[in-house]
Amino acid sequence: MWVSCRRSHRRTRGHWSRERRETAICSLSLLFVCVLSACAFVLPAYLLLSLAGLNGLLVIHGLLRRGCIFGVLKLGLVQLSITLSLYLILYGVAHLAQGAIVVARIILATIPGWWLCITVPPERIGEVLSAFLPTKWAFVVAASLSLLPYMADEIREIYHIQCLRGARITPRALRNPRNWAELVYCVLFPVLIQLLKLSRQMAIAAQSRHFGLNQRPTHWHSPRDNND
Amino acid sequence: MTKKLPLSLQDSLFVGFCATLLVALTGMLRLKLGISGHSMFLMSFFYLICYGALGRFGSMTACGAIAGLVAMALGVGKGGPMILLKFVLPAIAMDLIALLLPLSMALHWRCVILGLAGCIAWAGKVALTNMLAGMELDVVLIQWGMSVLKGGFFATLGALLVPPVLTRLKAQDLLHRDKF
Repeated sequence: MWVSCRRSHRRTRGHWSRERRETAICSLSLLFVCVLSACAFVLPAYLLLSLAGLNGLLVIHGLLRRGCIFGVLKLGLVQLSITLSLYLILYGVAHLAQGAIVVARIILATIPGWWLCITVPPERIGEVLSAFLPTKWAFVVAASLSLLPYMADEIREIYHIQCLRGARITPRALRNPRNWAELVYCVLFPVLIQLLKLSRQMAIAAQSRHFGLNQRPTHWHSPRDNND
Repeated sequence: MTKKLPLSLQDSLFVGFCATLLVALTGMLRLKLGISGHSMFLMSFFYLICYGALGRFGSMTACGAIAGLVAMALGVGKGGPMILLKFVLPAIAMDLIALLLPLSMALHWRCVILGLAGCIAWAGKVALTNMLAGMELDVVLIQWGMSVLKGGFFATLGALLVPPVLTRLKAQDLLHRDKF
């Protein structure tokens, strides 16, 4: 029994150190992405090529992790067409290259964010951000994120029921902004009622367990994580 | 609007749920309209619901900040850390303008003004990015104006839906405010 206790203690310690390492990597990735995005705006034009090379490596890494670059490409093309046509109308052909550099900077600032979303698990980003927030708001963010599947199920259920009732809220009907009011009254309004009730229940449950009374709150780890 | 800063746990949770719902709906619906600015519809709606339901200074900013964090954590949008600014800037602008608006003004008008203020700030974020990238000021201003026009339409649409929803929530006895 003593041996099994020691083993489980060692396993828990190993699990903790792995978690800490992943969180540290996530923090560094966040910092790296912020610096890289800032570099896209700050660096002089002749250094943009090396930055593009670095971003290219990120794109390759993201694609190897099965990320989809289509959204970034679409954004770049739309931005390029609008900016270049405005430059052409206002300044003529001579300034087109300048417009292209501007768009390149915007795309180079977007790629690191795309890479971060693909390579770092979302819950790690949430954990890192929670370190900077007050206890109450960290609890709110954690509760909101953990209740997201419940909310999504609830919305989907209400949405499908309202569609069956003949509400004009199908994806095709929603292309017409006139039908958006129906979406609000048929789906959002019942969901808001649920959220108000849920927030009241959760606040009572947390406060009855003395939430916010202790200066150093306890952070319970999910038993599901420990069994991994 | 009450100028009391701290929100109760219940109010904070409501703000958090609204922010998460905003991000989830933005991700789930993905309206393929091909028009920029339609995200302002949901943004102005949820921020103004927080404003109307809680009536506290900072409720919209808190909602925007949490929406930004949740969007970043869930990877909604392609902006990474920039998505935080997209949600926070309109919320801060709306909160600041809400401080200046008299409470005697009709709720419809207050909502429309706040929605437009949020839209101007939202377009300002795009303009700021373009300026930092070194775009010419004329082009920046034209793009900013276009964004304000497009986003303003959707923000007004979202803002106009808030007063009837608040009235219905009040009728269900779910709000602890006597007057909006």
